[in-house]
Amino acid sequence: MDPLTLLLADSRFPSGSYAHSLGLEQAVSDGLRDVPAFIRARQRLVAEADARFAVEASRGNVFEEEWYMRTPSPALRDAARRTGSQLLRAASAIWAVPVKKTPRPLALGIVAGAAGISAEDTALLALYDDAATVASAALKLLPLDPAVTARWLADLAPELARSATRIAADDGPLPAPAAVAIELNAPIHLEQRERLFAS
Amino acid sequence: MPVERALRIGVGGPVGSGKSSLIAALCGALADEIKLGVVTNDIYTTEDAEFLRATGVLPEERITAVQTGGCPHTAIRDDISANLEAVEELEAATGPLDLVFVESGGDNLTAIFSPALADVQIFVIDVAGGDDIPRKGGPGIARADLLVINKTDLAQYVGSDHVKMVREASERRGALPVAATSLRTDGAHKVAVWVRSQLADFRAHGHLHSSMEGVPDHHHDHVH
Repeated sequence: MDPLTLLLADSRFPSGSYAHSLGLEQAVSDGLRDVPAFIRARQRLVAEADARFAVEASRGNVFEEEWYMRTPSPALRDAARRTGSQLLRAASAIWAVPVKKTPRPLALGIVAGAAGISAEDTALLALYDDAATVASAALKLLPLDPAVTARWLADLAPELARSATRIAADDGPLPAPAAVAIELNAPIHLEQRERLFAS
Repeated sequence: MPVERALRIGVGGPVGSGKSSLIAALCGALADEIKLGVVTNDIYTTEDAEFLRATGVLPEERITAVQTGGCPHTAIRDDISANLEAVEELEAATGPLDLVFVESGGDNLTAIFSPALADVQIFVIDVAGGDDIPRKGGPGIARADLLVINKTDLAQYVGSDHVKMVREASERRGALPVAATSLRTDGAHKVAVWVRSQLADFRAHGHLHSSMEGVPDHHHDHVH
């Protein structure tokens, strides 16, 4: 594996995601306890499409309008644009990438393209970024052993690898899944007075 | 070197030591002469931002809050991207500012601002937290450009020796200044003098050096 893939996957790479739960905080406050199920739902309904957008962006096809069409919630758009620009800001110290408010999956693709990372690794990065951000946030929202959240990600590994291979090879129409509850809950989360996370 | 952005002053220190009160008092003392903004890093509420807005020392739009995912030290040191963005957005939204305070979420003694986020930083501790804190040291105590030891008015009630605190802090800090304050009874005058001198340096040179000027409590007998 390219060490640069590891660099971008490492939570120590300063790209802002530590401040986001990707909807988990609101879901937990509404009673959700099965976090692995939430992570899998996000993979199916959000992350796999994002991974495809990331792969396209890494090839120079930055489909920003198309991404917004699939993300109607202004709160989610804003959160993705923030973490996207934060990723580009850190990456711009390494590669010649523009620092602008681009949604996270597209920003990740732009950075992966600049770093010369393969399409399959780019897809894997997008999928893992989503899953690991949620798993890491879970530790701060629920009483959990950190080794258990690590095991969730390990359990997901075969699926992540299969999905990344499939997405990297996909040249069909851009996917358009809908995570309706996550879209609807995002603005509700922003109005909570006590919250740890920006999303 | 010309400076085209605001001076950024980080304000860190443990929970309850008086960071928000210090910023409120500084805004009150300086708002007539300096165009100020504040970015707060709240831990799990927007309380600090609300407190500052409620004091009415600044127009509401000059105060903004950043969520830190329960990691206040990460937000000021390891991954400063959200704070940098907040400072830049604040300046873009309000027009050019002279000075932006970045208030860290209350943290432990190891928290310190990245130089890429804060040009200079103030670390705030208080006498009620225990007078052995300066001796224990840590990056905030040892390296902050200004160490404020707050709530000196409480020292007699909590059995703390604030003179010893200033002395032991100075021993740790070399030439860096220490200010003993009681924000509640005396306000932030001493710290405001230091802030003015930092801003003057920043405007003149585009870079900063810590100055003892205007900070009378510094213990001068330390070993160089």
